[in-house]
Amino acid sequence: MTVELYSVRRRRNRIATGFALAATTFGLGWLVVILISLLWNGVSGLSTRVFTQMTPPPGSDGGLLNPIVGSLILTSLAVLMGTPIGILAGTYMAEYGRHSRLTTVVRFINDILLSAPSIVVGLFVYEVMVAPLGHFSAIAGAVALAIIVVPVVVRTTEDMLLLVPNQLREAAAALGMPRAVVVTKVAYRAARAGMITGVLLAVARVSGETAPLLFTALNNQFWSLNLNAPMASLPAVIFQFALSPYQDWQKLAWTGALIITLSVLALSIIARALAASRTSP
Amino acid sequence: MSSAALVPTVNHTDLDLATLKNKVLIRNLNFFYGAAQALKDVSLPLYEHKVTGFIGPSGCGKSTLLRVLNRIYDLYPKQRAEGEVLLDGEDILSPKQDLNLLRARIGMVFQKPTPFPMSIYENIAFGIRLYERVTRSGLEERVESALQRAALWEEVKDKLHANGLSLSGGQQQRLCIARTVAVRPEVILLDEPCSALDPISTAKIEELIDELKDDYTIVIVTHNMQQAARVSDFTAFMYLGELVEFDLTSKVFTAPRDRRTQDYITGRFG
Repeated sequence: MTVELYSVRRRRNRIATGFALAATTFGLGWLVVILISLLWNGVSGLSTRVFTQMTPPPGSDGGLLNPIVGSLILTSLAVLMGTPIGILAGTYMAEYGRHSRLTTVVRFINDILLSAPSIVVGLFVYEVMVAPLGHFSAIAGAVALAIIVVPVVVRTTEDMLLLVPNQLREAAAALGMPRAVVVTKVAYRAARAGMITGVLLAVARVSGETAPLLFTALNNQFWSLNLNAPMASLPAVIFQFALSPYQDWQKLAWTGALIITLSVLALSIIARALAASRTSP
Repeated sequence: MSSAALVPTVNHTDLDLATLKNKVLIRNLNFFYGAAQALKDVSLPLYEHKVTGFIGPSGCGKSTLLRVLNRIYDLYPKQRAEGEVLLDGEDILSPKQDLNLLRARIGMVFQKPTPFPMSIYENIAFGIRLYERVTRSGLEERVESALQRAALWEEVKDKLHANGLSLSGGQQQRLCIARTVAVRPEVILLDEPCSALDPISTAKIEELIDELKDDYTIVIVTHNMQQAARVSDFTAFMYLGELVEFDLTSKVFTAPRDRRTQDYITGRFG
Protein backbone atom coordinates (compact mmCIF):
# COMPACT_ATOMS: atom_id res chain seq x y z
CA MET A 1 0.00 0.00 0.00
CA THR A 2 0.92 3.64 -0.19
CA VAL A 3 1.78 3.92 3.51
CA GLU A 4 5.05 2.12 2.86
CA LEU A 5 6.00 4.53 0.06
CA TYR A 6 5.00 7.42 2.25
CA SER A 7 7.24 6.35 5.16
CA VAL A 8 10.19 5.98 2.78
CA ARG A 9 9.57 9.48 1.51
CA ARG A 10 9.33 10.76 5.06
CA ARG A 11 12.62 9.17 6.01
CA ARG A 12 14.30 10.68 2.96
CA ASN A 13 12.84 14.05 3.80
CA ARG A 14 14.21 13.83 7.34
CA ILE A 15 17.71 12.97 6.08
CA ALA A 16 17.74 15.79 3.50
CA THR A 17 16.48 18.30 6.08
CA GLY A 18 19.20 17.12 8.44
CA PHE A 19 21.90 17.74 5.82
CA ALA A 20 20.53 21.17 5.01
CA LEU A 21 20.45 22.08 8.67
CA ALA A 22 24.01 20.87 9.22
CA ALA A 23 25.28 22.88 6.23
CA THR A 24 23.52 26.00 7.48
CA THR A 25 24.92 25.60 10.99
CA PHE A 26 28.42 25.03 9.62
CA GLY A 27 28.29 28.09 7.38
CA LEU A 28 26.65 30.44 9.84
CA GLY A 29 28.81 29.09 12.69
CA TRP A 30 31.94 30.67 11.25
CA LEU A 31 30.16 33.95 10.81
CA VAL A 32 29.12 33.88 14.47
CA VAL A 33 32.69 33.03 15.52
CA ILE A 34 34.00 35.97 13.49
CA LEU A 35 31.46 38.38 14.96
CA ILE A 36 32.05 37.17 18.52
CA SER A 37 35.83 37.47 18.26
CA LEU A 38 35.39 40.91 16.71
CA LEU A 39 33.14 42.01 19.58
CA TRP A 40 35.39 40.35 22.18
CA ASN A 41 38.53 42.05 20.94
CA GLY A 42 37.00 45.27 19.72
CA VAL A 43 34.59 46.35 22.44
CA SER A 44 37.25 46.57 25.14
CA GLY A 45 39.06 49.20 23.07
CA LEU A 46 35.95 51.35 22.50
CA SER A 47 36.12 54.64 24.38
CA THR A 48 35.60 58.32 23.64
CA ARG A 49 39.35 58.50 23.00
CA VAL A 50 38.88 56.41 19.86
CA PHE A 51 36.68 59.14 18.37
CA THR A 52 38.64 62.17 19.60
CA GLN A 53 42.35 61.36 19.22
CA MET A 54 44.69 60.71 16.31
CA THR A 55 46.41 57.42 15.57
CA PRO A 56 49.28 57.11 18.05
CA PRO A 57 52.89 56.08 17.63
CA PRO A 58 53.49 52.65 19.17
CA GLY A 59 53.53 52.71 22.95
CA SER A 60 51.38 55.80 23.53
CA ASP A 61 47.68 56.54 23.82
CA GLY A 62 45.62 57.49 20.81
CA GLY A 63 42.47 56.94 18.83
CA LEU A 64 41.14 56.58 15.32
CA LEU A 65 39.82 60.09 14.63
CA ASN A 66 41.86 60.72 11.48
CA PRO A 67 41.06 57.38 9.80
CA ILE A 68 37.35 57.67 10.73
CA VAL A 69 37.12 61.15 9.21
CA GLY A 70 39.28 60.02 6.29
CA SER A 71 36.97 57.08 5.57
CA LEU A 72 33.92 59.35 5.76
CA ILE A 73 35.49 61.81 3.30
CA LEU A 74 36.72 59.14 0.87
CA THR A 75 33.41 57.27 0.92
CA SER A 76 31.31 60.43 0.52
CA LEU A 77 33.42 61.68 -2.38
CA ALA A 78 33.29 58.26 -4.04
CA VAL A 79 29.49 58.15 -3.71
CA LEU A 80 29.14 61.74 -4.94
CA MET A 81 31.19 60.91 -8.03
CA GLY A 82 29.91 57.41 -8.68
CA THR A 83 26.17 57.73 -8.00
CA PRO A 84 25.26 60.26 -10.74
CA ILE A 85 27.22 58.29 -13.34
CA GLY A 86 25.64 55.04 -12.19
CA ILE A 87 22.10 56.41 -12.14
CA LEU A 88 22.44 58.07 -15.55
CA ALA A 89 23.87 54.90 -17.10
CA GLY A 90 21.21 52.71 -15.47
CA THR A 91 18.51 55.11 -16.65
CA TYR A 92 19.78 54.99 -20.21
CA MET A 93 19.81 51.20 -20.16
CA ALA A 94 16.33 50.76 -18.67
CA GLU A 95 14.47 53.72 -20.16
CA TYR A 96 16.03 54.82 -23.42
CA GLY A 97 18.22 52.07 -24.80
CA ARG A 98 16.26 49.05 -23.64
CA HIS A 99 16.31 47.46 -27.07
CA SER A 100 19.68 48.77 -28.23
CA ARG A 101 22.86 46.83 -28.75
CA LEU A 102 24.82 49.36 -26.72
CA THR A 103 22.82 48.39 -23.62
CA THR A 104 23.73 44.72 -24.00
CA VAL A 105 27.41 45.64 -24.35
CA VAL A 106 27.33 48.06 -21.40
CA ARG A 107 25.54 45.52 -19.21
CA PHE A 108 28.14 42.88 -20.04
CA ILE A 109 31.05 45.22 -19.27
CA ASN A 110 29.32 46.43 -16.12
CA ASP A 111 28.96 42.85 -14.88
CA ILE A 112 32.69 42.33 -15.41
CA LEU A 113 33.44 45.55 -13.52
CA LEU A 114 31.09 44.42 -10.75
CA SER A 115 33.14 41.31 -10.12
CA ALA A 116 36.58 42.77 -10.94
CA PRO A 117 39.08 42.33 -8.08
CA SER A 118 39.30 45.69 -6.34
CA ILE A 119 43.09 45.59 -6.32
CA VAL A 120 42.97 45.86 -10.11
CA VAL A 121 40.94 49.05 -9.76
CA GLY A 122 43.58 50.36 -7.34
CA LEU A 123 46.39 49.58 -9.76
CA PHE A 124 44.50 51.23 -12.61
CA VAL A 125 44.02 54.48 -10.67
CA TYR A 126 47.66 54.32 -9.58
CA GLU A 127 48.67 54.22 -13.23
CA VAL A 128 46.39 57.00 -14.44
CA MET A 129 46.45 59.37 -11.46
CA VAL A 130 49.08 58.63 -8.84
CA ALA A 131 52.02 57.95 -11.17
CA PRO A 132 51.50 60.99 -13.46
CA LEU A 133 50.94 63.33 -10.49
CA GLY A 134 53.91 61.89 -8.68
CA HIS A 135 52.26 61.43 -5.27
CA PHE A 136 49.52 59.55 -3.46
CA SER A 137 46.36 61.54 -2.81
CA ALA A 138 42.93 61.31 -1.19
CA ILE A 139 41.27 62.27 -4.47
CA ALA A 140 42.89 59.29 -6.21
CA GLY A 141 41.52 57.08 -3.42
CA ALA A 142 38.04 58.53 -3.89
CA VAL A 143 38.23 57.94 -7.66
CA ALA A 144 39.24 54.31 -7.09
CA LEU A 145 36.29 53.82 -4.73
CA ALA A 146 33.97 55.62 -7.18
CA ILE A 147 34.93 53.09 -9.85
CA ILE A 148 33.68 50.40 -7.48
CA VAL A 149 30.47 52.35 -6.72
CA VAL A 150 29.50 52.84 -10.39
CA PRO A 151 28.75 49.21 -11.40
CA VAL A 152 26.75 48.55 -8.21
CA VAL A 153 24.57 51.62 -8.80
CA VAL A 154 24.22 50.92 -12.55
CA ARG A 155 23.01 47.42 -11.80
CA THR A 156 20.48 48.30 -9.10
CA THR A 157 19.19 51.34 -11.01
CA GLU A 158 18.60 49.29 -14.15
CA ASP A 159 17.03 46.39 -12.24
CA MET A 160 14.74 48.64 -10.22
CA LEU A 161 13.61 50.64 -13.27
CA LEU A 162 12.93 47.41 -15.17
CA LEU A 163 10.61 46.40 -12.31
CA VAL A 164 8.47 49.49 -12.90
CA PRO A 165 5.55 48.16 -14.97
CA ASN A 166 5.39 49.39 -18.57
CA GLN A 167 1.70 50.15 -18.06
CA LEU A 168 2.74 52.97 -15.73
CA ARG A 169 4.97 54.46 -18.45
CA GLU A 170 2.19 54.05 -21.01
CA ALA A 171 -0.30 55.71 -18.67
CA ALA A 172 2.06 58.64 -18.16
CA ALA A 173 2.82 58.96 -21.88
CA ALA A 174 -0.92 58.76 -22.63
CA LEU A 175 -1.40 62.01 -20.68
CA GLY A 176 1.00 63.72 -23.03
CA MET A 177 3.93 63.57 -20.64
CA PRO A 178 7.29 64.02 -22.38
CA ARG A 179 9.72 61.12 -22.00
CA ALA A 180 12.03 62.96 -19.59
CA VAL A 181 9.12 63.76 -17.26
CA VAL A 182 7.90 60.16 -17.39
CA VAL A 183 11.34 59.01 -16.29
CA THR A 184 12.05 61.58 -13.59
CA LYS A 185 8.59 62.07 -12.12
CA VAL A 186 6.98 58.66 -12.54
CA ALA A 187 9.57 55.91 -13.05
CA TYR A 188 12.09 57.31 -10.55
CA ARG A 189 9.34 57.79 -8.00
CA ALA A 190 8.14 54.22 -8.40
CA ALA A 191 11.69 52.85 -8.16
CA ARG A 192 12.97 55.29 -5.54
CA ALA A 193 13.33 52.95 -2.57
CA GLY A 194 15.17 50.35 -4.63
CA MET A 195 17.52 52.89 -6.14
CA ILE A 196 18.39 54.34 -2.71
CA THR A 197 18.97 50.81 -1.47
CA GLY A 198 21.46 50.34 -4.31
CA VAL A 199 23.41 53.44 -3.29
CA LEU A 200 23.46 52.32 0.35
CA LEU A 201 24.73 48.89 -0.68
CA ALA A 202 27.46 50.60 -2.69
CA VAL A 203 28.44 52.62 0.40
CA ALA A 204 28.58 49.44 2.44
CA ARG A 205 30.69 47.81 -0.24
CA VAL A 206 33.32 50.58 -0.52
CA SER A 207 33.57 51.43 3.16
CA GLY A 208 35.43 48.16 3.77
CA GLU A 209 37.66 48.25 0.68
CA THR A 210 41.40 48.23 1.45
CA ALA A 211 43.18 47.15 -1.70
CA PRO A 212 42.23 50.08 -3.95
CA LEU A 213 43.27 52.55 -1.23
CA LEU A 214 46.74 51.11 -0.70
CA PHE A 215 47.83 52.32 -4.15
CA THR A 216 45.97 55.61 -4.11
CA ALA A 217 45.11 57.36 -0.83
CA LEU A 218 47.81 55.34 0.92
CA ASN A 219 47.55 56.20 4.63
CA ASN A 220 48.41 59.05 6.95
CA GLN A 221 49.46 58.95 10.58
CA PHE A 222 48.38 62.54 11.03
CA TRP A 223 45.31 64.73 10.71
CA SER A 224 44.90 65.85 7.10
CA LEU A 225 41.96 67.15 5.13
CA ASN A 226 44.06 67.92 2.07
CA LEU A 227 42.58 66.03 -0.87
CA ASN A 228 45.84 66.35 -2.74
CA ALA A 229 47.80 64.51 -0.04
CA PRO A 230 47.68 60.99 1.37
CA MET A 231 44.73 60.45 3.71
CA ALA A 232 44.11 57.97 6.50
CA SER A 233 41.22 55.51 6.22
CA LEU A 234 39.92 52.82 8.54
CA PRO A 235 40.67 49.83 6.29
CA ALA A 236 44.23 51.01 5.62
CA VAL A 237 44.87 51.68 9.31
CA ILE A 238 43.47 48.28 10.26
CA PHE A 239 45.73 46.68 7.66
CA GLN A 240 48.81 48.50 8.99
CA PHE A 241 48.06 48.16 12.71
CA ALA A 242 46.93 44.54 12.62
CA LEU A 243 50.16 43.49 10.91
CA SER A 244 52.31 45.42 13.41
CA PRO A 245 54.05 43.74 16.35
CA TYR A 246 52.66 46.31 18.84
CA GLN A 247 49.86 45.22 21.19
CA ASP A 248 48.20 48.65 21.44
CA TRP A 249 48.14 49.04 17.64
CA GLN A 250 46.60 45.59 17.26
CA LYS A 251 43.92 46.52 19.79
CA LEU A 252 43.07 49.69 17.84
CA ALA A 253 42.87 47.60 14.64
CA TRP A 254 40.22 45.38 16.30
CA THR A 255 38.28 48.44 17.39
CA GLY A 256 38.44 49.93 13.89
CA ALA A 257 37.21 46.65 12.42
CA LEU A 258 34.31 46.66 14.87
CA ILE A 259 33.37 50.23 13.90
CA ILE A 260 33.34 49.39 10.17
CA THR A 261 31.32 46.22 10.75
CA LEU A 262 28.73 48.00 12.87
CA SER A 263 28.32 50.85 10.36
CA VAL A 264 27.95 48.43 7.44
CA LEU A 265 25.42 46.46 9.50
CA ALA A 266 23.47 49.65 10.18
CA LEU A 267 23.51 50.57 6.46
CA SER A 268 22.31 47.11 5.47
CA ILE A 269 19.46 47.28 7.95
CA ILE A 270 18.40 50.69 6.60
CA ALA A 271 18.64 49.35 3.04
CA ARG A 272 16.47 46.35 3.96
CA ALA A 273 13.91 48.51 5.73
CA LEU A 274 13.69 50.74 2.64
CA ALA A 275 13.35 47.76 0.33
CA ALA A 276 10.55 46.40 2.52
CA SER A 277 8.73 49.74 2.49
CA ARG A 278 8.78 49.64 -1.32
CA THR A 279 6.31 46.77 -1.38
CA SER A 280 3.83 48.62 0.85
CA PRO A 281 3.95 52.28 -0.13
CA MET B 1 -32.17 33.05 -38.33
CA SER B 2 -34.60 35.37 -36.66
CA SER B 3 -33.78 39.02 -36.56
CA ALA B 4 -35.13 39.48 -33.04
CA ALA B 5 -32.89 41.15 -30.49
CA LEU B 6 -30.04 38.79 -29.68
CA VAL B 7 -28.79 40.99 -26.85
CA PRO B 8 -30.86 43.74 -25.27
CA THR B 9 -29.64 47.15 -26.40
CA VAL B 10 -30.36 50.74 -25.57
CA ASN B 11 -32.80 52.48 -27.85
CA HIS B 12 -30.94 54.59 -30.38
CA THR B 13 -33.86 55.47 -32.61
CA ASP B 14 -33.46 59.11 -31.62
CA LEU B 15 -30.11 59.24 -33.44
CA ASP B 16 -30.15 61.50 -36.43
CA LEU B 17 -27.47 60.14 -38.71
CA ALA B 18 -27.38 63.25 -40.84
CA THR B 19 -26.11 65.45 -38.00
CA LEU B 20 -23.19 63.21 -37.10
CA LYS B 21 -19.75 64.72 -37.43
CA ASN B 22 -16.56 62.72 -37.91
CA LYS B 23 -14.13 63.39 -35.10
CA VAL B 24 -11.72 60.73 -36.27
CA LEU B 25 -11.61 59.04 -39.63
CA ILE B 26 -9.58 55.87 -40.00
CA ARG B 27 -8.72 55.02 -43.60
CA ASN B 28 -7.07 51.85 -44.91
CA LEU B 29 -5.15 51.26 -41.72
CA ASN B 30 -2.65 48.41 -41.59
CA PHE B 31 -0.64 47.63 -38.47
CA PHE B 32 2.39 45.44 -37.94
CA TYR B 33 4.12 43.95 -34.92
CA GLY B 34 7.43 43.27 -36.59
CA ALA B 35 6.47 41.05 -39.53
CA ALA B 36 3.09 40.01 -38.13
CA GLN B 37 0.17 41.99 -39.47
CA ALA B 38 -2.38 42.78 -36.74
CA LEU B 39 -4.75 45.10 -38.60
CA LYS B 40 -5.80 44.62 -42.20
CA ASP B 41 -7.12 47.55 -44.16
CA VAL B 42 -9.37 48.91 -41.43
CA SER B 43 -11.56 51.92 -42.27
CA LEU B 44 -14.18 53.47 -40.02
CA PRO B 45 -15.32 56.80 -38.61
CA LEU B 46 -15.54 57.77 -34.94
CA TYR B 47 -18.39 60.23 -34.50
CA GLU B 48 -18.11 63.27 -32.28
CA HIS B 49 -19.94 63.08 -28.93
CA LYS B 50 -20.78 59.45 -29.50
CA VAL B 51 -19.55 56.25 -27.88
CA THR B 52 -18.06 53.71 -30.27
CA GLY B 53 -17.51 50.17 -28.96
CA PHE B 54 -14.92 47.78 -30.39
CA ILE B 55 -15.85 44.14 -29.85
CA GLY B 56 -14.39 40.87 -31.03
CA PRO B 57 -12.59 37.77 -29.76
CA SER B 58 -9.16 38.00 -28.11
CA GLY B 59 -6.39 38.83 -30.54
CA CYS B 60 -8.73 40.33 -33.14
CA GLY B 61 -6.92 43.67 -33.09
CA LYS B 62 -9.36 45.85 -31.17
CA SER B 63 -6.81 46.95 -28.56
CA THR B 64 -4.23 47.41 -31.29
CA LEU B 65 -6.61 49.71 -33.15
CA LEU B 66 -7.13 51.71 -29.95
CA ARG B 67 -3.37 51.98 -29.41
CA VAL B 68 -2.96 53.45 -32.90
CA LEU B 69 -5.33 56.31 -32.13
CA ASN B 70 -2.98 57.98 -29.61
CA ARG B 71 0.13 56.43 -31.16
CA ILE B 72 1.06 54.85 -27.85
CA TYR B 73 2.49 51.97 -29.91
CA ASP B 74 5.25 54.41 -30.83
CA LEU B 75 6.89 53.71 -27.45
CA TYR B 76 8.00 50.36 -28.83
CA PRO B 77 10.32 49.75 -31.73
CA LYS B 78 9.24 47.38 -34.49
CA GLN B 79 5.60 48.39 -34.26
CA ARG B 80 4.34 50.41 -37.20
CA ALA B 81 1.13 51.65 -38.75
CA GLU B 82 0.34 52.38 -42.40
CA GLY B 83 -2.64 54.26 -43.75
CA GLU B 84 -4.40 57.34 -42.48
CA VAL B 85 -5.95 58.34 -39.18
CA LEU B 86 -7.47 61.79 -39.50
CA LEU B 87 -8.22 63.72 -36.33
CA ASP B 88 -10.29 66.76 -37.38
CA GLY B 89 -8.89 66.20 -40.85
CA GLU B 90 -5.25 66.08 -39.79
CA ASP B 91 -3.26 62.87 -40.26
CA ILE B 92 -1.93 61.82 -36.86
CA LEU B 93 0.25 59.10 -38.40
CA SER B 94 2.33 61.77 -40.09
CA PRO B 95 5.93 61.81 -38.85
CA LYS B 96 5.52 65.53 -38.21
CA GLN B 97 2.85 64.90 -35.58
CA ASP B 98 4.02 65.93 -32.09
CA LEU B 99 3.19 62.88 -30.00
CA ASN B 100 2.96 64.62 -26.62
CA LEU B 101 0.51 67.20 -27.92
CA LEU B 102 -1.49 64.47 -29.67
CA ARG B 103 -1.74 62.45 -26.45
CA ALA B 104 -2.86 65.52 -24.54
CA ARG B 105 -5.77 65.74 -27.01
CA ILE B 106 -6.53 62.01 -27.02
CA GLY B 107 -6.68 60.57 -23.52
CA MET B 108 -6.51 56.89 -22.66
CA VAL B 109 -7.62 54.70 -19.76
CA PHE B 110 -6.06 51.27 -19.49
CA GLN B 111 -7.31 47.84 -18.57
CA LYS B 112 -5.47 47.76 -15.26
CA PRO B 113 -5.71 50.79 -13.00
CA THR B 114 -2.37 52.62 -13.14
CA PRO B 115 -2.28 55.37 -10.50
CA PHE B 116 1.07 57.15 -10.34
CA PRO B 117 3.06 56.63 -7.14
CA MET B 118 1.96 59.96 -5.68
CA SER B 119 -0.98 61.45 -3.81
CA ILE B 120 -4.54 61.35 -5.14
CA TYR B 121 -4.40 65.13 -5.64
CA GLU B 122 -1.05 65.01 -7.44
CA ASN B 123 -2.22 62.17 -9.68
CA ILE B 124 -4.70 64.58 -11.22
CA ALA B 125 -2.87 67.90 -10.83
CA PHE B 126 0.21 66.52 -12.57
CA GLY B 127 -1.41 66.16 -15.97
CA ILE B 128 -3.12 69.56 -15.79
CA ARG B 129 0.16 71.36 -15.01
CA LEU B 130 1.86 69.77 -18.01
CA TYR B 131 0.08 71.93 -20.56
CA GLU B 132 -1.58 74.73 -18.64
CA ARG B 133 -0.60 77.53 -16.29
CA VAL B 134 -3.17 77.47 -13.52
CA THR B 135 -3.33 79.23 -10.18
CA ARG B 136 -3.33 77.20 -7.01
CA SER B 137 -7.04 77.72 -6.43
CA GLY B 138 -7.78 77.10 -10.09
CA LEU B 139 -5.91 73.83 -9.85
CA GLU B 140 -7.85 72.81 -6.76
CA GLU B 141 -11.13 73.48 -8.58
CA ARG B 142 -10.01 71.47 -11.60
CA VAL B 143 -9.00 68.53 -9.41
CA GLU B 144 -12.31 68.63 -7.56
CA SER B 145 -14.41 68.83 -10.71
CA ALA B 146 -12.45 65.98 -12.33
CA LEU B 147 -12.99 63.82 -9.26
CA GLN B 148 -16.66 64.70 -9.23
CA ARG B 149 -17.07 63.81 -12.89
CA ALA B 150 -15.45 60.45 -12.17
CA ALA B 151 -17.87 59.92 -9.24
CA LEU B 152 -14.97 59.65 -6.83
CA TRP B 153 -15.05 63.00 -5.01
CA GLU B 154 -17.29 61.93 -2.13
CA GLU B 155 -15.04 58.95 -1.37
CA VAL B 156 -11.71 60.77 -1.41
CA LYS B 157 -12.39 64.42 -0.53
CA ASP B 158 -11.04 63.94 3.01
CA LYS B 159 -7.88 62.15 1.97
CA LEU B 160 -6.66 63.94 -1.14
CA HIS B 161 -3.10 63.69 0.09
CA ALA B 162 -3.15 59.94 0.65
CA ASN B 163 -1.22 57.83 -1.83
CA GLY B 164 -3.21 56.96 -4.95
CA LEU B 165 -2.16 53.34 -4.55
CA SER B 166 -4.01 53.12 -1.22
CA LEU B 167 -7.39 53.18 -3.01
CA SER B 168 -9.35 50.07 -3.95
CA GLY B 169 -9.17 48.74 -7.51
CA GLY B 170 -12.44 50.34 -8.57
CA GLN B 171 -11.49 53.65 -7.00
CA GLN B 172 -8.08 53.52 -8.66
CA GLN B 173 -9.73 53.05 -12.04
CA ARG B 174 -12.04 56.02 -11.45
CA LEU B 175 -8.96 58.01 -10.37
CA CYS B 176 -7.37 57.15 -13.72
CA ILE B 177 -10.51 58.29 -15.52
CA ALA B 178 -10.52 61.52 -13.47
CA ARG B 179 -6.88 62.05 -14.39
CA THR B 180 -7.69 61.62 -18.08
CA VAL B 181 -10.76 63.88 -17.96
CA ALA B 182 -8.87 66.56 -16.01
CA VAL B 183 -6.58 67.45 -18.91
CA ARG B 184 -9.70 68.05 -21.08
CA PRO B 185 -8.88 65.86 -24.06
CA GLU B 186 -11.14 65.74 -27.11
CA VAL B 187 -11.25 61.98 -27.45
CA ILE B 188 -11.12 59.39 -24.64
CA LEU B 189 -9.96 55.86 -25.37
CA LEU B 190 -11.02 53.18 -22.89
CA ASP B 191 -9.24 49.83 -23.12
CA GLU B 192 -11.43 47.32 -21.27
CA PRO B 193 -11.76 49.75 -18.37
CA CYS B 194 -14.01 47.47 -16.31
CA SER B 195 -12.38 44.10 -16.79
CA ALA B 196 -10.73 44.19 -13.36
CA LEU B 197 -13.71 45.68 -11.54
CA ASP B 198 -16.66 44.44 -9.50
CA PRO B 199 -20.22 44.97 -10.79
CA ILE B 200 -20.86 48.06 -8.64
CA SER B 201 -17.74 49.86 -9.84
CA THR B 202 -18.54 48.74 -13.38
CA ALA B 203 -22.01 50.26 -13.15
CA LYS B 204 -20.52 53.53 -11.89
CA ILE B 205 -18.07 53.69 -14.76
CA GLU B 206 -20.76 52.89 -17.32
CA GLU B 207 -22.91 55.71 -15.96
CA LEU B 208 -19.89 57.96 -16.17
CA ILE B 209 -19.27 57.06 -19.82
CA ASP B 210 -22.83 58.00 -20.59
CA GLU B 211 -22.34 61.43 -19.01
CA LEU B 212 -18.94 62.04 -20.56
CA LYS B 213 -20.10 61.66 -24.13
CA ASP B 214 -21.76 65.07 -24.00
CA ASP B 215 -18.30 66.62 -23.97
CA TYR B 216 -16.04 64.01 -25.46
CA THR B 217 -15.79 61.48 -28.23
CA ILE B 218 -15.43 58.08 -26.61
CA VAL B 219 -14.05 54.78 -27.85
CA ILE B 220 -14.33 51.69 -25.68
CA VAL B 221 -12.83 48.25 -26.18
CA THR B 222 -14.74 45.58 -24.31
CA HIS B 223 -15.00 41.84 -24.06
CA ASN B 224 -18.36 42.15 -22.46
CA MET B 225 -21.07 42.18 -25.09
CA GLN B 226 -23.74 43.39 -22.68
CA GLN B 227 -21.49 46.30 -21.83
CA ALA B 228 -20.99 47.20 -25.48
CA ALA B 229 -24.73 47.04 -25.98
CA ARG B 230 -25.38 49.18 -22.90
CA VAL B 231 -22.90 51.98 -23.39
CA SER B 232 -22.07 52.36 -27.06
CA ASP B 233 -23.97 54.16 -29.80
CA PHE B 234 -21.95 52.52 -32.54
CA THR B 235 -20.32 49.11 -32.54
CA ALA B 236 -17.41 47.81 -34.59
CA PHE B 237 -17.00 44.05 -34.70
CA MET B 238 -13.48 42.92 -35.49
CA TYR B 239 -12.20 39.49 -36.33
CA LEU B 240 -8.64 38.36 -37.17
CA GLY B 241 -7.43 41.90 -37.74
CA GLU B 242 -10.30 42.87 -40.04
CA LEU B 243 -13.22 45.14 -39.41
CA VAL B 244 -16.15 42.84 -40.14
CA GLU B 245 -19.02 45.14 -39.36
CA PHE B 246 -19.55 48.70 -38.21
CA ASP B 247 -22.97 50.16 -37.58
CA LEU B 248 -25.37 51.51 -35.01
CA THR B 249 -25.16 49.33 -31.94
CA SER B 250 -28.85 48.55 -32.15
CA LYS B 251 -28.40 47.30 -35.71
CA VAL B 252 -25.27 45.24 -35.00
CA PHE B 253 -26.94 43.52 -32.07
CA THR B 254 -30.35 42.98 -33.61
CA ALA B 255 -29.71 42.52 -37.29
CA PRO B 256 -26.06 41.80 -37.98
CA ARG B 257 -25.24 41.74 -41.67
CA ASP B 258 -22.34 39.33 -41.38
CA ARG B 259 -22.57 35.71 -40.35
CA ARG B 260 -19.43 36.02 -38.18
CA THR B 261 -20.89 38.93 -36.23
CA GLN B 262 -24.01 36.96 -35.56
CA ASP B 263 -22.03 33.91 -34.43
CA TYR B 264 -19.94 36.03 -32.10
CA ILE B 265 -22.72 37.95 -30.40
CA THR B 266 -24.80 34.82 -29.94
CA GLY B 267 -21.80 33.21 -28.26
CA ARG B 268 -21.11 30.59 -30.91
CA PHE B 269 -17.38 31.40 -30.77
CA GLY B 270 -14.99 33.85 -29.18
